[in-house]
Amino acid sequence: MTIRATVLGTLCRPSFVVAIAAVAVFVGPTSAHKEPHTPEQLKLYEDVLMEEVRKGDLLFHGDAATAKQMNVVLSTTGMACAMCHPMASDTHPQSYPKFQVETSKFATLRDMINWCIEKPNQGEKIEIDSEAMKALEAYITWSNSGSVLVPGKH
Amino acid sequence: MSDELDRIRREMHAVLQQLGVRPDDSLQITRRTFIHRSLLFGAASVGQTFAWWPLLNTIDVAHAAEAPFKFAWISDTHLYEKSLNTRFVDKVVRAVQEVQAMDPPADFLIFGGDLAQLGKIEELELGVDLLKDLTIKKYYIPGEHDWYLDMGKKWGELFGQPNWTFDHKGVRFIGLDTVSRGPDYWTVKKMTPEERMGHMATLDGTVAGAWAGVGRDQLDWMQKILADWDKSKPIVIFSHNPLYEYYPPWNFWVRDWREVNEVLKPYTKVTNIHGHVHQVLYNEIGSMRSIGMLATSWPWPYAPEGVPKLTKPMIRADPGDHFDGVGWETVNVNAEDKVDVEYIMWGRKEVFVQSDPDSSLSQPEKLRPRMADNMWPY
Ligand SMILES: [Fe+2]
Ligand SMILES: [Fe+2]
Repeated sequence: MTIRATVLGTLCRPSFVVAIAAVAVFVGPTSAHKEPHTPEQLKLYEDVLMEEVRKGDLLFHGDAATAKQMNVVLSTTGMACAMCHPMASDTHPQSYPKFQVETSKFATLRDMINWCIEKPNQGEKIEIDSEAMKALEAYITWSNSGSVLVPGKH
Repeated sequence: MSDELDRIRREMHAVLQQLGVRPDDSLQITRRTFIHRSLLFGAASVGQTFAWWPLLNTIDVAHAAEAPFKFAWISDTHLYEKSLNTRFVDKVVRAVQEVQAMDPPADFLIFGGDLAQLGKIEELELGVDLLKDLTIKKYYIPGEHDWYLDMGKKWGELFGQPNWTFDHKGVRFIGLDTVSRGPDYWTVKKMTPEERMGHMATLDGTVAGAWAGVGRDQLDWMQKILADWDKSKPIVIFSHNPLYEYYPPWNFWVRDWREVNEVLKPYTKVTNIHGHVHQVLYNEIGSMRSIGMLATSWPWPYAPEGVPKLTKPMIRADPGDHFDGVGWETVNVNAEDKVDVEYIMWGRKEVFVQSDPDSSLSQPEKLRPRMADNMWPY
């Protein structure tokens, strides 16, 4: 299901569509883990991640075309996420889940993303498991690759 | 730290932090906190939105001056057109009211760049309009956000020459343009002015490259205007970017800091005051002190590496309060050989971090540059 949605979302990138289709063939549920992984497969997994990172990067930096395409309004103030978080700094994905001071609740990174969209950016909160949310999460965590997990750290 | 950054860092350390080389010995840094009278005016006139009585934190830096005086600094207002965003407008209005209410008044105001967000005529004119209420003498230097839509055309029409110098009560003041000499990243890619500005307006963008620099021509100009200045008399240099290397990926530097250091080396009382970083910063580089100023618009987090050891970090701002982590400054040059920089941060009793959890630096970060702005068709 997820794979199909991704294919539809990337029709404008023909070479990538081929790659995703190939993933479906290689890693469909019936063949999973029965054969050793090939370098091609690993490359394809990486491509899937990086496509999410790319979309997340664009959303995070306020790219209007991507927001429109994904049907989200992340900000109405002219502010984009990256204006307070260059290179996704100070997002601290490694510190989640944790007690979030802003909401006085135990929160995940996705909860905090929505808080930022709604409060400082005055945008429209997005579905917690939406494509846009996954892309934003992909970009933020990818940007912070190598950070050590410290759940709960304020 | 990347190998390249590590190499430059070592070089900078070797060049600038030589044994025994420091800003003038008689100088010292202290810090004090007190309530600023002028804020009472600001708060009274703009109402209850500003619930806090902010206190001021002061860095004292010594200098000799003929007579005590004060000047004010505002920068990084990043104005959008009013129809899109009134939040940044409100903060400029507040800063202007507070500077205007200073008693005794400031001798002049320095505007440290990034008046506009996207370099638009409407944004720059809005800035002029808002600052009009401030009746003291005003000096402007440009920021990258002011410049790269029309390559400084409108800015020049409004404010004239981007670099300048004047003497005031025994201090030589110099304003530098550190933004206009960026490498041409737009012609080959056939970018529209808006696209060029878009890349420049993205702090963590990878396309505009190492745009911050003073340039050989301007260095020669600076050398010339300093030639007749006594080596032990005070110099205050304003620049949008810091005149040393803090974090090149965000242009928290000028790429020709080595040459800047060469020109300034003979002078023992140099203070550099800069914007662009939207954060409290303090550094000593050779015989020069460098002080980073707050934005009125929004605070940037400290970079993941390269924060000068001498910096006492500012607090981690509350993202739910857009008056937190931002503000303006007064600089007080007094008869007791001191230059006081007062950070006026609106959301806080304490500008500086008191304990670890209040600091964004308490969470070590490993970050990588963005990737989507360098991919086709971007
Ligand atoms: Fe700025
Ligand atoms: Fe700037």
